[in-house]
Amino acid sequence: MVVVGSGISGSIIANELSRAGKTVLILEAGPGTDSSLVEYEAFLTRFYDAAVKDNQSPYAPNPNAAMPRSSDAVRIWPGQPDSSTYLVRNGPLATDSTYTRVLGGTTLHWEGKTPRMMPDDFRTRSAYGVGLDWPLTYTELSPHYAQAERELGVSGDVETQTFGGITFEPGYVYPMRGLPLSYLDTVVAKGIDGTAVELAGERYELRVRPFPQARNGIPNPDYDDGRGFVPVGAVSTNQVEEGGRCQGNNNCVPLCPVQAKYNARKTLAKALQTGCVDILVQTVASKVILDPVTGRVSGIEVKAYEDPVSPRHTTWTMRGHVFVLAANAIENARLMLASGLGSSSGLMGRNLMDHAYLLSWGLLPEVAGTFRGTNCTGGISDLRTGAFRRQQAAFAVDIHNDGWAWAVGSPYSDLIQMVDQENLFGARLRNALQSRISSQLQLAFIIEVPPSESNRVTVDPAYTDQLGNMRPVISYTLPDYTMRGASYARQLARRVFQCLDAADHTSYDPEDSQYVTYEGQGYVIRGGNHLAGTHIMGTSPATSVVDDRQRSWDHKNLYLVGGGSMPTIGTSNITLTLAALCFRSARHIIQQLRADASLTLPPDAPSDAA
Amino acid sequence: MARREDVFISLSAGLTGYSPVRLIGTGMCDQYLAELGKVLSDGMVDEFLSAYARPPADGGCSVLKVLRDARWGPVARRVMILWYCGTWTALPESWHAVHGASSADTDHVVSAEAYQAGLQWVAAGAHPAGARQQGFGAWALAPEGV
Repeated sequence: MVVVGSGISGSIIANELSRAGKTVLILEAGPGTDSSLVEYEAFLTRFYDAAVKDNQSPYAPNPNAAMPRSSDAVRIWPGQPDSSTYLVRNGPLATDSTYTRVLGGTTLHWEGKTPRMMPDDFRTRSAYGVGLDWPLTYTELSPHYAQAERELGVSGDVETQTFGGITFEPGYVYPMRGLPLSYLDTVVAKGIDGTAVELAGERYELRVRPFPQARNGIPNPDYDDGRGFVPVGAVSTNQVEEGGRCQGNNNCVPLCPVQAKYNARKTLAKALQTGCVDILVQTVASKVILDPVTGRVSGIEVKAYEDPVSPRHTTWTMRGHVFVLAANAIENARLMLASGLGSSSGLMGRNLMDHAYLLSWGLLPEVAGTFRGTNCTGGISDLRTGAFRRQQAAFAVDIHNDGWAWAVGSPYSDLIQMVDQENLFGARLRNALQSRISSQLQLAFIIEVPPSESNRVTVDPAYTDQLGNMRPVISYTLPDYTMRGASYARQLARRVFQCLDAADHTSYDPEDSQYVTYEGQGYVIRGGNHLAGTHIMGTSPATSVVDDRQRSWDHKNLYLVGGGSMPTIGTSNITLTLAALCFRSARHIIQQLRADASLTLPPDAPSDAA
Repeated sequence: MARREDVFISLSAGLTGYSPVRLIGTGMCDQYLAELGKVLSDGMVDEFLSAYARPPADGGCSVLKVLRDARWGPVARRVMILWYCGTWTALPESWHAVHGASSADTDHVVSAEAYQAGLQWVAAGAHPAGARQQGFGAWALAPEGV
């Protein structure tokens, strides 16, 4: 089997297949050694040394497998795409979402929140007349959620996560107990718990609720029918005692210094131990090659490079029985489209989704211990579903333990302002920093974006990278449905600040590349890096790219896996759900390989990548 | 004349509001002085320190005298920022126009250690993001002084 991409999707499938005795070759476009702590420590040093600590700061730029950066996004003017950086932004909204192209993929920089999607999220078309229905129900995916929660090592408490229709198997507990809420969360809870809001004729009571997270905490002895759970710490070829429990580094994004946060290298390390998995790094998939007679995939053309800076490369074709594209929603679609494979549905690359993030930030009247703990421990989940979804997008709210860092660059920005504008120094500077930094409250509203065919990834031979691969061209805008949710979110933020006697410092700069207006009000909407929907799953080849097992309708030995298969994303960070989908697909691929005798190697194929 | 390190620490204590012991304890004094030398030249650093070390004629505050000085005020503010976050921030163009250009005067983190030694985190009762963490569950406790 050939897997393109070593992120969480590719790693889970490779690990599951290798455990079933299948031989797997993983192709990774970016650099990486398989299980070295030295390389991980180098990421950390690079982060410390970086003047701008964005979510790509630990990872070296690589023009052969370029990574989008949030700072790349510039204002798009109609008819003038911005092609100055890797992602060609066609607008009208310039997305600032990113993904990381190194061994282990974007799980190196992800934050690690792992909420399940809500049952309603799988049927938004039938329930609310919006978006699409999945070919799967929550109940069907539920056992795979449990598999994903084991693989990722999720800390959470079932009691706090049973709401909005989410159910668990009787007696189920998460592998580890929920991480404690931050002191900041409890300050917010004191002010808002029990506050009622009316929306579309229904009443909702707000409360601060913890998020489940793929981060090591205290193992739950009741897990797995009393067998318990052993947390997986840092990945290393030598024994290291690190990462067994979260230390509260407040640095989940862009890199957990101790690897208490799950990253896909943990799954890759297990897969490698089977002896059935090989990984080729610095090997960029450039074309999916079809057998003209059967329509099946016969190989993947790759460009392998030694030096990330030099365009020098060699071209190879990798052959196998089954091919899995696990390169993320944008890169999967880019590769297919660059291969001339637009799907008979015409939907390849379409329905690109991401969560829309609206930030609101204020100062609490008391010191609240901000800048401690994981990036986020709790938030408000009471408006993640309800009858109002007929009119406006649902959202969850994150309480950020890292203050206004995302909104304005705190604490650095506060320091500069105090020194250069307010002319503070000495004890007054020190005291002002304490009161202003440790009382910051930033709310991040993660707002639903329904699928829309005009939001899409395309390719254009006019835009190539230095290896000659076509770059992704992104067309993206936010529907009114999402903006109505954003407008309501802003009102709710004001209400929350009022309940807390907090001073609202929110302001949206009209010069910002993410500035949008809706009904006369301006907002800055950030991307969430939750890229999904470019090869959606469905019940028919006419209306979807893959089936409910993520198998291509057009090419029977090709699977496109990951966020791209999701027809909707609700208000849940997508990783847990795409991991669950990959467990489901892995089981199916194993069954198919056993059942389908017609899946034989092409006659000219080497035998080492079966 | 006192050692330049002692003068630098004394001035820095006045600028940051942290005691000399606390500043010396960061281990960053030599690196910061060297960095200052790279940006300004060692000769100019000596002038800067002398401007502070000379007691003001009117018997006022030496730190304020430096901060209000057209030439040394902007430098003193860069030093404050350096101690608080480990980053050297470039002097204004207008300063260079009068006092000379320097190719080393760019925004940059002095070193990985400098980032981790930033006093802004200490002031906030926290720790540098990604280092010197407080341990599992510490985030649930009230911060110091509450």
